[in-house]
Amino acid sequence: MSVGEGADARAAAAVAVAAVLGEGRTLEAALAALPPGRLAPEQRAQAQALAYGTVRWLPRLQRVGAKLVQRRWEDHSPRLQALLLLGLYQLEYAQVPPHAAVSTTVEAAKLVGEGRAAGLVNACLRRFQREREALLAHADRSLAGRTAHPQWFVDAFVRDWPAQAAAMLDADNAHPPLVLRANARRISTAALAERLAAAGHATRPVPFAPRALVMEKPVDVRRLPEFVEGLCSVQDAAAQLAVPLLACEPGHRVLDACAAPGGKACHLLEETPELAELVALDVDPARAARIRENLDRLGLAATVTVGDALADDWWDGRPFDRILLDAPCSGTGVIRRHPDIKLLRRPADVGPLAERQRRLLAALWPKLAPGGRLVYATCSVLKAENADVVADFLRDTPGAAEVPESARLAAPLSPALPGRSGREAGAGPGFALLPGAADTDGFYYACLTRPT
Amino acid sequence: MTRLAILEYPDPRLRTRAQPVAHVDDELRKFVDDLFETMYAAKGIGLAATQVNVHKRVLVTDVSENHDQPLVFVNPEIIAKDCVGTMQEGCLSVPGYYEDVNRAQKIRVRALGRDGQPFEMDAEGLLAVCIQHEIDHLDGKLFVDYISELKRTRIRRKLEKEQRARADAPARPRQPAL
Repeated sequence: MSVGEGADARAAAAVAVAAVLGEGRTLEAALAALPPGRLAPEQRAQAQALAYGTVRWLPRLQRVGAKLVQRRWEDHSPRLQALLLLGLYQLEYAQVPPHAAVSTTVEAAKLVGEGRAAGLVNACLRRFQREREALLAHADRSLAGRTAHPQWFVDAFVRDWPAQAAAMLDADNAHPPLVLRANARRISTAALAERLAAAGHATRPVPFAPRALVMEKPVDVRRLPEFVEGLCSVQDAAAQLAVPLLACEPGHRVLDACAAPGGKACHLLEETPELAELVALDVDPARAARIRENLDRLGLAATVTVGDALADDWWDGRPFDRILLDAPCSGTGVIRRHPDIKLLRRPADVGPLAERQRRLLAALWPKLAPGGRLVYATCSVLKAENADVVADFLRDTPGAAEVPESARLAAPLSPALPGRSGREAGAGPGFALLPGAADTDGFYYACLTRPT
Repeated sequence: MTRLAILEYPDPRLRTRAQPVAHVDDELRKFVDDLFETMYAAKGIGLAATQVNVHKRVLVTDVSENHDQPLVFVNPEIIAKDCVGTMQEGCLSVPGYYEDVNRAQKIRVRALGRDGQPFEMDAEGLLAVCIQHEIDHLDGKLFVDYISELKRTRIRRKLEKEQRARADAPARPRQPAL
C-alpha cells in the first residue's frame, strides 16, 4: 500500500495559490473550493500550511523565481508560477527534506496538468539549491524583497509609520498566535486557562485584554470542547479592545453596523448582558448567517439584520446609545493572518475604501443618540483609512468630538500599547495598534461622541 | 538485499491466491528483507509477496515516517474487525492513484513473525487499513476492486497506456534476447 507521498497536497496547494495569482480569489476561498474527498484531512491541512507559507513569502520568492526562468515571469501560467513558488517555499522555509520538496513538487506538476513543465520545475528548483545564496541576495536587495511585501506596501508603511515600518513588515511574516476570548458569561479567564492547561494546552494572558488567552501552540479549535461548548471564541487581542472602548451600560440600545462574523457583537453581549437590544447588521446575507452561528454557539441573542449601513431601510428610526463601526478596510493590519492581502490588495483600492469609510461614518452618525458614543475601528494600519477619515469627520461635523477620556481608556493599555508614539507625534485622533509592537493584529480605534 | 520488480495492475498475476508458508527459514527471511528493500525504495507503507510475483502468504508494513516500525506478517489472519471508516488508499501496483476505501479501522491480527513465532496484535488507523490492504493482495484482490467500475476502468486504461508507452520507449534493454 502507498499513501500520497505529499504530491497530492502539493498539487492542491499549487491549485489554490494559482487561484489567488490568476483569479484574484482569497486563499481561504481557494482552499475551500478544493474538491472535497480528494484529500485526506491531514493532506488538506498540509496543503493549507504550504499554500499559506508560499503566499506569505511570495513577493520574495517571486524575485528568485523570475531569475530562474528564461521567459518573463508573467508569461508563465499561474499554475506554473504557483508550482515554482511552492517548490522554492519548501526549499527555503518549510521543514521538508530538499529531495522530497523537489520530487513532490515535480509530481504535483504532473497531477495539475503541467506535466510538460515538470522538467522545468525540476531544473529550476535544483538550480536554486545550487545557487541559493546569490539568488536570495538578488531578491533581498530591496526592503520589499527582503520582507516579502509589494513595494507599495513598504512605501505606505514607511510614509505613515517611519519609525515602526521595519518592525511592522517583519511582524507581517510571523505566524499569528491563536488567541481565545473567554466567554465572560460562562467562565473566568483564569478558569478557562486552568481547563485548557488540564487538557495539555498552555496559554498566556494578555495584559491589556482581560478576556484574552494566547495559545502557546496552535490547535484546531473545532476539537476544543471549550470552544464547541461556547466557553470561548477565537479573537485576536487587538479586536478585543472594541468592547471596553464602547463602554456599554445596561439598558443601552446598541448597533454593530458591519457585524459579520459577529466576534465583536458576541463579545459585547458576553460583557453586558442587560442591553435593551443589540442590532447586528451586515449587508451580506451569507455572512449574516455566520453571526447567527456564533450567537447560537455561545448561547447569546441579538437582532441580526441584513441591510446596508449606508442606507436607512433597515432602521426603525430609534437612535442607538452606542454604535460600533468596524468598517470594511484594506486589512493591512492583519496580513500575518491573511497573507494573500499582499497579493490581492492594490494601491488603487485604498482611495475607494477610505471614501466608503467616510460615507459609512456620515450615514451612521445621525443614528447615534445625543450623548451616545460611536467607536470607529478598522484592521488597517494606513492613516488614509484611519486618522485621516476621523480627523476630516471631526472637522466637518459640528458637535462631533473625540471622547475626552478616549486617551484615558487607552491609557490602561499603554504599557503594552503600541502606536502611542505615533499618537504622541500628532498622528491625529484615535489610536493605532501596530503589528510588531505587542504581538497583536494591527488595529485602529477612535471613540467619538455627539453632545447632549 | 535485492530490489524486486513490482507487478502493475491489471497484470493478471496480481489475481493469484498465495499459498501458506510451511516453514519460516533463512530463505524466507532473505525474501522478507528484499520486500522491505523494495517497499522502502518505492516509498510504500506496505507490500505483499503477491506484488513481486511470489505467491506465498507474506507481507511487510512500515507506516512510520522514519522507517522505524517494520512489521512482518507470515500467514496472517484477521480474527476481529471493528469501526468501519473511510481512508484514502494507494497501491504500489496501481501507481499514482488514490481512492477512498471503507474498511475496519480497528483489527486484531494473528500471524507468524520473522522468527516463525506466532503472535497476535491489535492495529488501528493506517496500520489496520494497510494490513487489510496487503492481505487482500494475498487473496488476489486489489483496492480498486472496491471503487466504482467507471473509476476502475479509467485507472486501468490510463495504466495500460503508460505501460504501452514504456514498452515502446526507444531504449529497450529489458527486451528478452530470444
